[in-house]
Amino acid sequence: MTRVRVGQIVKRFGDTLAIDGVSLEVRPGELFTLVGPSGCGKTTLLRIVAGLLEQDVGSVLFNEDRMDEVPPYLRNIGVVFQNYAIFPHLTVAENIAYGLKARRVAPDRIASKIAEASRLVQLDELLGRMPGQLSGGQQQRVVLARALVIEPRLLLMDEPLSNLDAKLRVQIRSLIRAVQRTLQITTIYVTHDQEEALAISDTIAVMDRGRVLQVGKPWELYLRPANRFVADFIGTMNVFRGRVEGPGPAAGEQMVMMSFGARWRVRTDEASGAHVSLGVRPESLMLERGGNGGEPWNSLTGTVVEAAYLGAVVRYQMRIADGVEITADIHNPDFAAIRAVGDRLTLWFAARRAVALPGEAGGA
Amino acid sequence: MRGRRRDLWWTVTVAAFLTVLAFLVYPLATVLLTSFSGEEKRFVLAANYQRFFTHRYYYSSIINSLYLSTLATAGALVLGTSLAFAVARYPLPGKPFLRAAANLALLSPPFIGAYSWVVLFGRMGLANRALEPFGWSLPTIYGWRGILLVFVVQYFPFVFLLVSAALRSVDQSIEDAALSLGSRPRRTLCTAILPILAPSLTAGGLLVFMGTMADFGTPMIIGEGLRTLPTLMYGEFMNELGGNPAMASTLGSLLILVNTVALMAQRYYAFRKAYNVVCIQPLRVQRMGRGRLLLLTAFAYAVVGVALIPAVTIIISSFMPTKGPVMYAGFSLHSYQIIFHMVPRAIANTFGLTAMAVVLDVLLGVLVAYLLARRRSRAHALLDSLIMLAYAIPGTVVGVGLIVVYNRPPVILTGTWVILLVSYFIRHLPYPVRSCTAMLQQIDVRVEEASISLGVPPFRTFLKVTIPLMFPAIISGAALAWMTTIGELSSSILLYSGPWATMSVAIFTEVFSNHFGTASALASILILAAFVPLFLTYRFLGERSALGV
Repeated sequence: MTRVRVGQIVKRFGDTLAIDGVSLEVRPGELFTLVGPSGCGKTTLLRIVAGLLEQDVGSVLFNEDRMDEVPPYLRNIGVVFQNYAIFPHLTVAENIAYGLKARRVAPDRIASKIAEASRLVQLDELLGRMPGQLSGGQQQRVVLARALVIEPRLLLMDEPLSNLDAKLRVQIRSLIRAVQRTLQITTIYVTHDQEEALAISDTIAVMDRGRVLQVGKPWELYLRPANRFVADFIGTMNVFRGRVEGPGPAAGEQMVMMSFGARWRVRTDEASGAHVSLGVRPESLMLERGGNGGEPWNSLTGTVVEAAYLGAVVRYQMRIADGVEITADIHNPDFAAIRAVGDRLTLWFAARRAVALPGEAGGA
Repeated sequence: MRGRRRDLWWTVTVAAFLTVLAFLVYPLATVLLTSFSGEEKRFVLAANYQRFFTHRYYYSSIINSLYLSTLATAGALVLGTSLAFAVARYPLPGKPFLRAAANLALLSPPFIGAYSWVVLFGRMGLANRALEPFGWSLPTIYGWRGILLVFVVQYFPFVFLLVSAALRSVDQSIEDAALSLGSRPRRTLCTAILPILAPSLTAGGLLVFMGTMADFGTPMIIGEGLRTLPTLMYGEFMNELGGNPAMASTLGSLLILVNTVALMAQRYYAFRKAYNVVCIQPLRVQRMGRGRLLLLTAFAYAVVGVALIPAVTIIISSFMPTKGPVMYAGFSLHSYQIIFHMVPRAIANTFGLTAMAVVLDVLLGVLVAYLLARRRSRAHALLDSLIMLAYAIPGTVVGVGLIVVYNRPPVILTGTWVILLVSYFIRHLPYPVRSCTAMLQQIDVRVEEASISLGVPPFRTFLKVTIPLMFPAIISGAALAWMTTIGELSSSILLYSGPWATMSVAIFTEVFSNHFGTASALASILILAAFVPLFLTYRFLGERSALGV
């Protein structure tokens, strides 16, 4: 199993800084996801690890081996591309055998390896077909088998699901995850889809404008985003501004005067007088104050400006002050939870569900 | 960090530059320079140009050339576009035949077309002699009218093919939108459809204009002494009284100037007018009254029929008994017996030199196309422009340039077959380069990267993945180069010497010595030789072949 370390990578394209000093460590056997909006540098970083691009500064290490001078064809990496990059002039079997032939594996070994790899990705029926006769999902499986069969030190996947329809995406996603777990192969996975990242990853790195903003487990990023960008990119976050008034009733708590007039109890280390941004997820908001004794609760009151009933969820857009709107998701709504546009509404949330977002404090 | 290594592609870049510099840029620069030289080898600024523009003998040639090319371009555009619209938009019977016939019309080089009209309508022509007993005579085919006829008939298929391809990319919704916004059909055609076709129309027009400007054989055969730039240039250079390279170079420079200006104007215009059209549903075939449909069908078949006359005439006349320029009814293989007896060498030369040139064109073309498509840099953009220069430069000018440069030490190529090969190779290099570059732009780079990441080094990836994927483009580029090389006359006539005459040269001399039977037999072989690769390409590649020029 391979541990990947990239140190202080910088890459420029002309005047634009694509990667701005990124350092990361990918643990052996884990599925590590780079997620971020388009143009954030995630694919560039992946291509640098693959050796298809050269970094301007910095180093790439696989275990203790420096890869900077190693050309891509000697790195022993499996790459799965967004648009498959299948060889259209070769059959499925020939596609899978391609990397083995380059390694001069004996023909009988190639045959058994093709059989094994194609079973792993559930392709064994289609070995004689040409790529033109395959669906998108099948093509992506061929490419996955082709990348895995060479027993690479590392598997790199660049948006492997983005050309598939929603249903197939979920199907292939679980296939990738299952195969990756079975083979315990270190994998770097690139996507712009935060939901996909949450579902598939052991570890996620959120990137923006060539920098890594936060690295962590999926739930760490969701529950404790390091800043406003991560909070918005992973899921939805209502963000409020306020000023710390002084210590709250319990240890570690502060009383915060919110910009729209409410007073909240929240957990934060900020000192009295400091400006803070507080984030609350839509699903943390509830119609009733929870029954759990001892738990501090905060409230929000406003007018419904938009209501969308989605069955499992009813989503309200609510105005709580001039120019301050929030989103609330009421799960499993009963008749009593239905409100019309224009209704007044009070929502509650547990104090520990508010996240202080650093780097956002100044100003209002 | 890995530095920029001097890899194979670096070598290819250097080799391509050296080739183009040695065989195109240097000869052309020499032609330009020579045009400013005096008779005593003294540098006399623009004296030749002064002489050109003050003597009617000289300046009439550029007037004739511009006049003929402009009219021919207009005629070919009207005819080609009308036919393209008729085939694309109306329910004409036998559309596949019409399309195939338009392709076939491109097979015979223009000078053979000119010769075929002489066979039919010349003084001893078949038609004139058939009408003689009735006391009728046809208007003369010689002179500028004949040239114009040949030009239009020979070149309108280019416009037809280009406009047909462009019409296939126009979506029906564009017409529907215009009509639904209250635009009448004729206005819709002029304001919505034709503007989308503008790049193709101008590209077709440019092809006709440059082709007719450069055409040497047609005015020689049918012009009856009418001076155009290429024929006068040939005359000045090959003059029996010693020749005048300075004046020939002046004429050549003017030719280059006219064609380059036309090329730049079209590029500039097409670049500004290029639209991204996505076609999901092609234009509908429209209904039409029976009477009008009959008229339109008659028009389409008449046009295509006229375009096929040269090839048909040549082939039929090659099997007729002849005596000098006079042909008699009947069947005879005599003409073929004579040519295989008299000029087997010319046939061998043509096939050998063409094959070699095409192989070299494809080898260099494939590598250069890869560079242009995948390693875009300023140097490669320059290389691209230099190679495309070969499109705009008439064969006569290339011929003169090569002779002037390579008839003196250190490298003497005149008098050898190598100089013919060089001309063929460099003039037709753009075909595989163009077809392969276009193909490569459609092949995802990631396919190559996938191969590299699977452990196959870049050059082996190029051989194992890129080349197989480029194969259709390689074949159609090679077929185009073959078709245009095999009947090449304008530089061959200058560059051949002694035993190295080609079939085109042999046809030309046979026509001028009034041996029409042998000329027809040789021309038939040429047409067949051009047809076979075209046929095979269509047969095996079908729609994938990119023969749309």
